[in-house]
Amino acid sequence: MTDKTAVHVVGLRMSFGTTEVLHGVDFDVRYGEVFCLLGPNGAGKTTTLEILEGFRPPTGGEVRVLGLDPAAQPAKLRERAGMVLQECGFPRQARVAELIDLWRSYYPNPRPLGDLLEVVELTEVRNTQVRRLSGGQRRRLDFALALAGDPDLVFLDEPTTGFDPEARRRCWAAIENLRRLGKTILLTTHYLDEAEQLADRIAILRAGRIELAGTTHEVAVRAGLATRISFTTPSALRRGHVPLPDGIDLSVRGPESVCHTGNAAMTLRLLLEWARQNSLGDLDGLAVTAPRLEDTYLQLTRTNGDHA
Amino acid sequence: MTRSVHLAIRQALLEQRSFWRSAEYALFTFAFPLMILLLIGAANAGSDLPGTDIKDTTVFVPGILAFGVIVAAYVNLGSKVAVLRHDGVLKRIRTTPLPSGSYIGGLLVSTVATVIFVTAATGMLGWLAFGAVPRPGELLALTAGLVLGTVCFATLGLAISSVITSAESAGPVAYASFLPIAIISGVFDPTFSGLPDWLSRLVATFPVKALAVVLQNAYAVRPFPAWDLANLGLWTAAGAAFAVWRFRWHS
Repeated sequence: MTDKTAVHVVGLRMSFGTTEVLHGVDFDVRYGEVFCLLGPNGAGKTTTLEILEGFRPPTGGEVRVLGLDPAAQPAKLRERAGMVLQECGFPRQARVAELIDLWRSYYPNPRPLGDLLEVVELTEVRNTQVRRLSGGQRRRLDFALALAGDPDLVFLDEPTTGFDPEARRRCWAAIENLRRLGKTILLTTHYLDEAEQLADRIAILRAGRIELAGTTHEVAVRAGLATRISFTTPSALRRGHVPLPDGIDLSVRGPESVCHTGNAAMTLRLLLEWARQNSLGDLDGLAVTAPRLEDTYLQLTRTNGDHA
Repeated sequence: MTRSVHLAIRQALLEQRSFWRSAEYALFTFAFPLMILLLIGAANAGSDLPGTDIKDTTVFVPGILAFGVIVAAYVNLGSKVAVLRHDGVLKRIRTTPLPSGSYIGGLLVSTVATVIFVTAATGMLGWLAFGAVPRPGELLALTAGLVLGTVCFATLGLAISSVITSAESAGPVAYASFLPIAIISGVFDPTFSGLPDWLSRLVATFPVKALAVVLQNAYAVRPFPAWDLANLGLWTAAGAAFAVWRFRWHS
């Protein structure tokens, strides 16, 4: 563990009765990054988060959050970490600004009220009773309350589950605002696009184990997925007037030609050289597509689907 | 320490504001005892209890005072905490550094405020409409009885909240667990009698009648209610033990 590590997890195990749900989980979250714990329902995401938040002592392993042991120092941790749990209600008759202001009083160094309202885009409904807010507004109020004490670290447990696209988009915008404030964010989700959109780094948790961890790109590469290069098939190639390039696994699929590669730069160089030699110009419609997280995730789920 | 108290008071202020904003809560808690007082008064007021020279108003007015304390402290706090737990508000409080004592303390301070409002209104109406006033020099005893009753029923409210399993049943469970006892305890009807011996002895073991008797003692000369005071003390201890044992921050 270094000073740059906000969350440090090594060999984390958790059992409920005789059932072990976490079988030795390891990951680190650095200060200032958005880290996403991605996985299907029942993978152990919420359990992991509850341990990091100090709500459950782990069965085994080492856990440090902001340099603290969450199970032993929960009060200290809560002054510096904001938590958005799943399905946490509000006092029904409280008004938005009034509630945020009350929450601010719980912390030694709260953020200014107006600032909080702005970050979560609730300034217009500041005098509305909480029970009249929409689902998306409530979730953003969750963020505001978690942020009231100006925490160094924010936990978000499945922040957009069950939301319509518009509510999700505004929720993501609020999370982007948190990132801009320099907060370290640890979020869980079972939505791939959410992880891809928000996270600097991702760990895929499945059946109580980390399957893969790294940046979106690293995760995809490590899962063995290749960059896809495609271009519009030149008519000379389609008619068989030019030879296929050497050393590239190019397949001509009618109007589109496609190849996959682990080294995009090298392959592109070869392709363009081949095009020049055969007077094919700059290759119309040339596109390089990075490996997508969705492909990685689906591949993992397909190949290892049996130990869930 | 001062910070904890300050936080508890802020919490209580939000609870009070929420309480008065919620029309149904406020109406039932506040207007219910007053309405019952007027109805019972219209039926009885002014005569002596059979075979005594005790005016019935000095019995049913403090009886309704006891009822108000129970609604404000027991029903209100009990169902409130059950709903807060069910809605996950208690769970959310646990994610903050707010000391548990300040939070529970805030709920209790707010409950005490509600009791004061309800009791003052009921007492005033009893005086203005039926001329029922505490005996000279008994105001302190009345206050002491109200304090003891509030502590006892707030504790029992916290205890019952742990038994309630859903937000929907919170109000009904809280009411149903005391209203029948209140009726057979004679809280509403000063001439209520004719219970089988075993039943009236059973009813006397509950704190409902005990609180009514303690408050009635401040209005009319009666034997010193030593047993009833002890009863309230025992129920407070039992309620506190159960509340602490079963208290949960999440449903």
